[in-house]
Amino acid sequence: MPSSPLLQISSVSKTFGGVVALDTTSLELAEGSFTSLVGPSGCGKSTLFNIISGLLPPDGGSVSLEGRDVTGTSGHVGYMLQKDLLVPWRTVMGNITLAASLTRRVTAEDRAQAQAQAERYGLGDFLHHYPRTLSGGMRQRVALMRTLATNQSLLLLDEPFGALDAQTRLDMQQWLLEIWADLGKTVVFVTHDVDEALFLSDRVLVMSPRPGRVVADLTVDVARPRTLATLTDPSFIELKRRVLGLLHRENA
Amino acid sequence: MTSSPQPPVSVVRENARRADAFAPAWPFAKLALWYVASVSLTLLVWQSCIWIFHPAPYIVPTPRATYDVVVSQWSQIWPLALGTFRETIYGYAAGAALGFLLAVAMYKIRVFRSLSYPLIIGSQAIPIIALAPILVLVIGFNIYPTIIVVTWIVFFPVTINTLDGFLNLDPDLLNLTRVLGATRGRRFWFVELPGVVTPLFSGLKIGAAYAVTGAIIGEQAASSGPSLYQFQVAANNQSRTDLVYGITIVMMIIGLLWFAVVTGLDRIFTPWKYRATARRWFRRDKTRNASLTTND
Ligand SMILES: Nc1ncnc2c1ncn2[C@@H]1O[C@H](COP(=O)(O)OP(=O)(O)OP(=O)(O)O)[C@@H](O)[C@H]1O
Ligand SMILES: [Mg+2]
Repeated sequence: MPSSPLLQISSVSKTFGGVVALDTTSLELAEGSFTSLVGPSGCGKSTLFNIISGLLPPDGGSVSLEGRDVTGTSGHVGYMLQKDLLVPWRTVMGNITLAASLTRRVTAEDRAQAQAQAERYGLGDFLHHYPRTLSGGMRQRVALMRTLATNQSLLLLDEPFGALDAQTRLDMQQWLLEIWADLGKTVVFVTHDVDEALFLSDRVLVMSPRPGRVVADLTVDVARPRTLATLTDPSFIELKRRVLGLLHRENA
Repeated sequence: MTSSPQPPVSVVRENARRADAFAPAWPFAKLALWYVASVSLTLLVWQSCIWIFHPAPYIVPTPRATYDVVVSQWSQIWPLALGTFRETIYGYAAGAALGFLLAVAMYKIRVFRSLSYPLIIGSQAIPIIALAPILVLVIGFNIYPTIIVVTWIVFFPVTINTLDGFLNLDPDLLNLTRVLGATRGRRFWFVELPGVVTPLFSGLKIGAAYAVTGAIIGEQAASSGPSLYQFQVAANNQSRTDLVYGITIVMMIIGLLWFAVVTGLDRIFTPWKYRATARRWFRRDKTRNASLTTND
């Protein structure tokens, strides 16, 4: 760890009417890291994100970002929710600049930035299209650009590629790594796909349900940039075996 | 921009402009065509009934006779119809505004919602026929009781539909606005309001269909001068059945016209349902045009 962590979560927990959605959890994230969260449905991944983003006040504990206590307050992280949530009445451009228009007047610079992003990542011809006309992969890309346009250093991505076919998914993963490398963001990524988690991350947190908690914290020591060959790398396969073992044991 | 072969810039721009200008013309033309078709069908059924059952002309006149009498009496009907139309749109505008504002207040202020809901339902349980004379007692014989009756009828569907729309906004979308750090005012303007445009227009359309009924009830109970309703009563007293039918149809046409206007507004305000791209004059960035211009 080079310096103090970007995000520090100290013993947060959340119970919904007797169901422990998230057991007491503590976590630190280093600046510029890429961390994945894997675990079966209902183990509290989205709950953890909701707490970090301030949508949900934790029953106990605290969240601090860059040394500031941000428990229960929102507007300080880029959070891409499980649904893409594009607003149908705004064009691609309008959706990317949504964060700006919700907080202040949208400037020409915001629009130029949105346009540059859209063009760079293959949506240049769709700037003025309504979301209705976009494919699932394009919608996800717009949602991610909207999240990026908030200019927050911490990005929480909740199953952003869950609904995509294998080919599009692979493209999107490459694209995300590109962005991560370009912009030096800190990313937390939720997925059900172990390959995806390992392929993308420096670190993988495995969670288990009832009560939801982190049962393993693994470092992915595989060199970057990663390619298709990485998927068959022995150390990669060994890690995958361990994660699958943990998930399987929890399910049994 | 220079890698692939492209048509001259002026052509591209011209096509784009044309696509924007003509895209909405078609749906309107189509809509008008359907109106014509259903009116023709109604006339056909009407005429067929006469051919089959041979009713006396003082019970059911022919469409042709009805049309002729409306044309011959047009100089009398026209100003009265205009008066009814005026009452309709004044009352409608007030009702739409009141209905919308009530919905917003009920959405934003929970106490107000709980308090006003029974009153709003109650307002519609009062028979309008009973209400109109009371309004005349309070306000007197002028145009206002009629306008208030129309307002009374129109505000209700607007409020109920719009409030439902507000309460059914996707909670995740509202959460997203919090994550993005939205201020209350901007969230309302950019997310909540556009999110209820569709149910708002459902309410406005229902109101448009009922508005003329309100205006005629108002004329019955409250108008001092000549009105379309009184003209119809006079025609009826003189057993001029064709004229009675004709005036009824004129009333219906006023309602249809207003409904068509509201439907048109709906299309204009919800372009994302009918168009693939935003209208050119809604686009905020001029950079795209600029880059096209520098190419030639
Ligand atoms: N608002 C809520 N009210 C009641 N229970 C909730 C609420 N939100 C989540 N839960 C419960 O908390 C548990 C964890 O939910 P959460 O959404 O965090 O799971 P998840 O790991 O994101 O699952 P998935 O992978 O399916 O998205 C679940 O049992 C869920 O039913
Ligand atoms: Mg989830």
